[in-house]
Amino acid sequence: MHSCDLDIEINKLSKIEGHADLDIRIRNGKLEDVTLKVMENVRFFNQAVRGKPYASVPQLVSRICGTCSIAHLTACIEAVEKTLGVAPSEQTMLLRKLTMYSLMIRDHALHLYFFVLPDLLGIDSILDLADGKKELIHEALHVKEAGNNLSKLVAGRAVHAPYEQVGGFSHEIDPSRIPILVSELRKVRPSVLKLIDIFYRCPWKLKRKTNFVAIVTPDFSFLEGKIRSTNGAVIEERDYWNHLHNVVLPYSQASGFQFEGKEYMVGALARLNLNKESLHSNTKRDAAKYLTVFPSDNIYHNNLAQALEILHSLDHSVELLSAGGFKKEDPAKPVKQSGEGVGAIEAPRGTLYYWMAIDQGRVRYLNLVIPTAQNLVNLREDIKKIVEGACASGVFPDELEEKIRREAEKIIRAYDPCMSCASHFLRVNLKF
Amino acid sequence: MAENQNKKRVGVFSLTCDEGCSIYLTEIFNRKLVEWLDKMELVYFLSVKNKTDFSNLDVALVEGVVTSQKDKEELEKIRNSTKILIAMGTCAMSALPSGQRNTFTPEQKEEIREHLEMYGFLPQALALKEVVKVDDEIPGCPVSEEIFVKTFEKYLD
Repeated sequence: MHSCDLDIEINKLSKIEGHADLDIRIRNGKLEDVTLKVMENVRFFNQAVRGKPYASVPQLVSRICGTCSIAHLTACIEAVEKTLGVAPSEQTMLLRKLTMYSLMIRDHALHLYFFVLPDLLGIDSILDLADGKKELIHEALHVKEAGNNLSKLVAGRAVHAPYEQVGGFSHEIDPSRIPILVSELRKVRPSVLKLIDIFYRCPWKLKRKTNFVAIVTPDFSFLEGKIRSTNGAVIEERDYWNHLHNVVLPYSQASGFQFEGKEYMVGALARLNLNKESLHSNTKRDAAKYLTVFPSDNIYHNNLAQALEILHSLDHSVELLSAGGFKKEDPAKPVKQSGEGVGAIEAPRGTLYYWMAIDQGRVRYLNLVIPTAQNLVNLREDIKKIVEGACASGVFPDELEEKIRREAEKIIRAYDPCMSCASHFLRVNLKF
Repeated sequence: MAENQNKKRVGVFSLTCDEGCSIYLTEIFNRKLVEWLDKMELVYFLSVKNKTDFSNLDVALVEGVVTSQKDKEELEKIRNSTKILIAMGTCAMSALPSGQRNTFTPEQKEEIREHLEMYGFLPQALALKEVVKVDDEIPGCPVSEEIFVKTFEKYLD
């Protein structure tokens, strides 16, 4: 080991959602401190939702995050419905599944092709792919476009989807578009299998014992189920908050969380570790070899898990769309105008929790638990492990800085953090 | 590289917002990117690349509102580096919805005052044109696909 002092600052991490900086302090060849700073400016959603009519709030909170707006929309709608006793129809739940699948396909594809693949291929950007490999750009765009078109068909648009509302969908699916979309989804399937294989063969490894937490849904549809952890916890969605502790992160416009007193991880890896048996039968058939990887405590397998979730989303969407029979429905109505309730779903990056109180049709209170905020403490521990490993690896100080920069960015990207989301609802205010 | 000499140098920048417009731009890319890459070089877009080059831009697409002193300085820097500056989306055009604090009641404003002071926020969130000269605008939340393509392509030829 070489004794050295190093202050590494990475300003504006690229290829993640939103703005974050990372500071690492090494003294005498030993790690002293890691500070991950969420640099997003807060937009004060806590205050903005208060007093607003409940029906307008899902579209308002959709603006928390551009990339996973559909997750915020869906979780908020569920919270309103649980609060006011709205019972969505079977068809509405099915359309919500399709909407969530459309989100997973394009959001995971953006992360894997645009953010992670460049690290794996040793290039700066997917746009820099050498001529012989340019087909990966086309595949990336086609897979994303299939998700984008599914969003359009079911929910009106991929970002701030206009059709998904409290009690139901405002527009019905155009039946003439279904065969076109089914064939588009089928057409990109080989590209998704290729993507899965790329991340299966990815040699990156970081193992550190941690706890994985996810809502376990019976058909892997990201919507309804019990919250489970690999440590054996089984919790109702509405009780989730009681198991969490807020952790203040210095210098950040965000805060982190612990689950039952310890760091934990949510997201695709947690879902695959806890629930791979519930994936679509076609996914299980064609990805059997890759699914043997799970459960895994290699954090980089989050990328493989995301690729597998694209395949599942595609396979289940093809089945649901092919079954057809969509009919026009009136929205389900609330049975009361005041109350309190919880909506929880699996967003692309993990469990997303909305706790809402409504008085006479107006929102009185809203508290959120954001996936990235839940992962921040675990991520910081993983960065520490990587830096400590690099310090002990015996590389010379001038190479050490480069190695740490590269490896730290790689592990941060494996988490697919979303800083736009993480910077909200940092102040926990339980006064009613 | 010689082949790049005639290509427009394009940057995509995010000030304070949900980045919904730039995310939607990556969806518009699904159909248009390959064609546009014949005419443009994407020199700044943190969602897509790390190595960035701020200088001598032909077109800067800017989303979000100017909520902090840092946002203001960044926008001024972008303005000084680009021939054409396009406000991308409703936030950049009119400061809403990301500048929703402008619409708060006095009580709500008092509640967020400490945070504003601690993090160098401006008294009001501003639209781009309240800070620098804006050459063109693309409305929508997120940007309308049709208007984006029409407006952006004007500056690629």
